[in-house]
Amino acid sequence: MKMSERDRAAAAGMAPGAITARGFLGSDERALADIVAADEEAAAALGLDLGAAADRLAELARKGEAGLGEPVTVEGRWLVRSEESRGRLPCPWRDGFYHKNSVSVEALEGGERLVFSELSLHLLREHHFCQGEGSPFRLDPAALKRLLGP
Amino acid sequence: MHPLLIGPALTAGIAAALALVIAVADRLLNDYGEVTIDVNGGKRRYTVKGGSPLLGALAGEGVFLPSACGGRGSCGACKVRVLSDVGPHLPTETPYLTPEEVSRNLRLGCQVKVKKDIAIELPEYLFNIKKFRTTVERIRDLTYDIKELYLRIEEPAGGISFEPGQYAQLVVPPYGDYKESTQRAYSMSSRPSDSGHIELLVRLVPGGIATTWVHKHLKEGDAVEAVGPFGDFKVRPGPATMVCVAGGSGMAPFKSILYHIAETGAHPDKEIWYFFGARSGRDAFYLEELAELERRLPRFHFVPALSEPKPEDGWAGETGIVTEVLARYLKERLPPGAREGYLCGSPGMIDACVKVMTAAGMAAEDIFFDKFA
Repeated sequence: MKMSERDRAAAAGMAPGAITARGFLGSDERALADIVAADEEAAAALGLDLGAAADRLAELARKGEAGLGEPVTVEGRWLVRSEESRGRLPCPWRDGFYHKNSVSVEALEGGERLVFSELSLHLLREHHFCQGEGSPFRLDPAALKRLLGP
Repeated sequence: MHPLLIGPALTAGIAAALALVIAVADRLLNDYGEVTIDVNGGKRRYTVKGGSPLLGALAGEGVFLPSACGGRGSCGACKVRVLSDVGPHLPTETPYLTPEEVSRNLRLGCQVKVKKDIAIELPEYLFNIKKFRTTVERIRDLTYDIKELYLRIEEPAGGISFEPGQYAQLVVPPYGDYKESTQRAYSMSSRPSDSGHIELLVRLVPGGIATTWVHKHLKEGDAVEAVGPFGDFKVRPGPATMVCVAGGSGMAPFKSILYHIAETGAHPDKEIWYFFGARSGRDAFYLEELAELERRLPRFHFVPALSEPKPEDGWAGETGIVTEVLARYLKERLPPGAREGYLCGSPGMIDACVKVMTAAGMAAEDIFFDKFA
């Protein structure tokens, strides 16, 4: 799939050491546009709206802030812990800066667990980019569906 | 050569030649020679090879700016005032600077390259910061996700001199998928009298570079570098009651402060209340040690609080989010009179505590904190 100039620049920013030490692509060797297209397709097949999923994760993260950095049970279904680090990270598409943080949401039933940041949610919501396979912050559509439920 | 191979071979040859030209040009055109870094109006001068970022150039001379991202331009910690012209602020700097800081020409040390003589201003305390070569003497699990890291200082001789409450930066070498060294800041939990060691409490952050390294890769006997001490989170003089609040690895500076006070009798007029929040028994630690300290130091009061205690915890202490417990104690249990707040934790935790403390009549300027972010 052909990529725009902006996507090519974003892909360069996703390499290890550019914006973050590990980058955003994990061990995924597919082109950025192919990763996005494949995840959009997978989400559609699951009936998952990536923007709505990002909003729901943001809501859980907000509720998790009640734990003041400690794990806290949210809505009786998830264990949420929010960690914050110093500084901010730019979006690889250069459309904003986001606080460096790490939110872990674990389903109390089934144990599905995803880790994301403020930037991950922006990437998911605005760019439908779930991050590459093997990225510790990947929000895999199937895992999102399992974590958030119907 | 087969005619079909001539085209690709020619292309490869041209590409290689171009790469060589670029490499040679880069070497010739970007050779800035030796340049001088003038610090604090000529008080110190360093001659360095030009072209590298100011952060690294200063580190090469043994002057360490705070940095929590290893020079990647994502933490905004390495601010330095530049007095000479180094060009306009870069787009990679401005998100971390206030308009006032921009007007004073504060720059990020990791983003400004030293291409010609430069004059800068640095606070004097930075010249006491050293890089320590250490060996991991002990790693102890405090909880399932918090480790106590005890480092023996090998160099420089004489160890570390610091005030309880300050922090050090752990130098994380390249490992696994991470190809570059980086640094992360952790409050020291050791006592200043134990100058031959640095103790840190490190909580595993999912996906975190440094915490994953400490938890999954670091072993006793490994060599580790640390830089410090940094920070101004210190006990203020005077008789005001200390109201301390922390959760998780935010325990670190308070452990240092409390054991220092117990050992030296420092701040004899201060009564100390320490509120420590955790979710359940498996998230709490040092409870017995601090209860013992409470017996030894009558002016110290330890109030651990569990927000979601489990039946198996057999918990008989305070229950609730630590700010709820704090609010109750500020209203009903703490002695009247002057109070000072000391907080260590996430920005959310700090903000919530400041709200509770100011609502209880404490002045915002009497609340000191060590924000993780």
